[in-house]
Amino acid sequence: MNPAVRHPLSLTLRLTLLFAIAAMLAFAVFGWIIERSIKQHFFDEDVAELKAIASSVTKTLSTRGKLDVSTVLRQRFNDILVGHHSAVLYVTREDGSTVFASPGEHDLSAMGHNGMEPVAEGLLHVWQDAGHTYRVLTRRLEMPSPANERYTVSVAVAIDSHLRFLKTFHRTLWLMIASGIVLLGILGWVAVRRGLAPLRSIVAQIHRTSASELNTRLRPEAMPRELSDLAESFNGMLARIEEAFERLSNFSADIAHELRTPVTSLLTQSQVALSQSRGMEEYREILYSNIEEYERMAQMIGDMLLLAKTDNGQYELDRITVDLTSEVEDLFDYYEAWAEERGVSLSLTGEAVTEGDRAMLRRALSNLLSNAIRHCPAGEAVRVVLEQTSREAVIRVKNPGPPIPAEHIPRLFDRFHRVDASRHRSGDGAGLGLAIVKSIVDVHRGRIVASSTDKCTTFEVRLPSRSTSITEREVGRNNMA
Amino acid sequence: MKILVVEDETKIGDYLRQGLSEAGFVTDLARTGLDGHHLAMTESYDLIILDVMLPDIDGWRILQSLHDAGKNVPVLFLTARDSVEDRVKGLELGADDYLVKPFAFAELLARVRTLLRRGATPVAETSLKVGDLSLDLVRRQARRGGRCIQLTAKEFSLLEFLMRHRGEVMPRSLIASQVWDMNFDSDTNVIDVAIRRLRAKIEEGFDSKLIHTVRGMGYMLDEPAQE
Repeated sequence: MNPAVRHPLSLTLRLTLLFAIAAMLAFAVFGWIIERSIKQHFFDEDVAELKAIASSVTKTLSTRGKLDVSTVLRQRFNDILVGHHSAVLYVTREDGSTVFASPGEHDLSAMGHNGMEPVAEGLLHVWQDAGHTYRVLTRRLEMPSPANERYTVSVAVAIDSHLRFLKTFHRTLWLMIASGIVLLGILGWVAVRRGLAPLRSIVAQIHRTSASELNTRLRPEAMPRELSDLAESFNGMLARIEEAFERLSNFSADIAHELRTPVTSLLTQSQVALSQSRGMEEYREILYSNIEEYERMAQMIGDMLLLAKTDNGQYELDRITVDLTSEVEDLFDYYEAWAEERGVSLSLTGEAVTEGDRAMLRRALSNLLSNAIRHCPAGEAVRVVLEQTSREAVIRVKNPGPPIPAEHIPRLFDRFHRVDASRHRSGDGAGLGLAIVKSIVDVHRGRIVASSTDKCTTFEVRLPSRSTSITEREVGRNNMA
Repeated sequence: MKILVVEDETKIGDYLRQGLSEAGFVTDLARTGLDGHHLAMTESYDLIILDVMLPDIDGWRILQSLHDAGKNVPVLFLTARDSVEDRVKGLELGADDYLVKPFAFAELLARVRTLLRRGATPVAETSLKVGDLSLDLVRRQARRGGRCIQLTAKEFSLLEFLMRHRGEVMPRSLIASQVWDMNFDSDTNVIDVAIRRLRAKIEEGFDSKLIHTVRGMGYMLDEPAQE
């Protein structure tokens, strides 16, 4: 494997992380909103209180009239402050002299009014002193004539307890959020693992599938919808592999069998021949008969090698434009005498051109034709019909005669398959003829279909007209790599 | 005619030598690529039969080195793998013909004769004659004993082929490839039928046979006296 390719994060980790990040974002927004609204609530409350006190103070000062008795005034201010816990009042004249300053622990006089430019509506600010924090509202008051006096009034409430509360709340909230995220992360991880359990079970099942148990299948109906497709594709692949595997092992068994028979007969014949002394002519006969057997074996080996090569994609097609019409005519020329002797006539209609390996296509057509002639009853005709469509060249080879039983049709192109088992060695080769046709059609990216009715057996080959040589070559290279 | 056979398989080598010797050729056999190379470079041969799969140096390199040395001897190579690359490679390196194992000895013999004849100056023949059978190549007519014989185009080609190789055994596969351009083994007896029909035309009504069946090998056309 290429070391530069990094293994992607595991699904579990990915999902868990996503889950945790989503939770974190949600909690953060939530926490921020809560904190903000509490702060706002405290602020609004403070401001309302300050405004209420300031209004009372304003009222007191404006209704004061000529009564310049500071004790009365002080008493009134004290009355205003009653009921407002921790509220502080500080009033100065324009010249800075103090009119009133709340006594006790909280003393706003330290703040002073210098440098402030308060307006009538009031100025809100925060002031810290001696370990306390205050929210302060400072207003300027202008008494109309006759008094014509100006005052600066500061009302304050200590917000220490609010701040303490907010601080504690803040800490608690974020602690809860943090632990919530961790908890949800763990829960998410557990959920994802549980959710992905069917995937692990598929993996385990696939692990158990070995060459000897290709018949096992996954059960898509027992799986979540997302995985049933995967399971079905996997089953499909397994079925194809199983079929190919079975064919291959049958093929190997068949090869062994097909070779054992002639070897046994050759061996027996030679040993029997040598068991006693014979005349020259007799020896000659035996050798002739041996040669026939050898030739058959040689042909079978050649056929099997061709099949092996096309199977492995090793066959390099020598592509040219092939005029199928003239190919069929040449083949008719070749088979004419043989067909005539069997009382079979040959006819060709239509025309077609394709691109491919001429020798291979000729061989495929030859096999189809000899097969048709062989199974055509005397007095009848083998017909070859060519047809050119925009995308394909279609070749149909038809012969009348006894129909091929339906159960044999799908296996017709299998290696060593014979419709009639007893027809073994009656001169129709080793049963590889149609398998070779199919291989040749396959390497040309074509299709072959056989059909058989009471009257007529038809082999239909469809070859693509357009060149696929580039893909062909690429496929060949990939197979070799 | 002197032929060098380079073949490492003991039995095949022996039988090739025996077969070629019995067919009238002087035959040397080299069992390794190095021996073969040495013999080919030092002796003079009319033809080299070269197996390409040799244990020490392969046939391609021998071919290459012969070519480099300017040796213009015809080479027939034997290969176990019938692949386009092998064929193309061999022919590019200057080989003249090839055979894929397993092959019929008759086929090898026929090809050897063809290659050896290639060197000779070709005679532009207008007619062929074997015994009382004559073939007019210009008018494409066959006559025997003064009688005109009607032949189809393919029958004429078949007869011409056999007459050009008179006295040589022609295997069925070679006839199929040379006369019909069918370069594969057919599991039918097409050639036998074609020969039978040709025989009927040129032998029926005549005393002597011209086409002889050589069992296990093929067919041969020759004068009756040689039978």
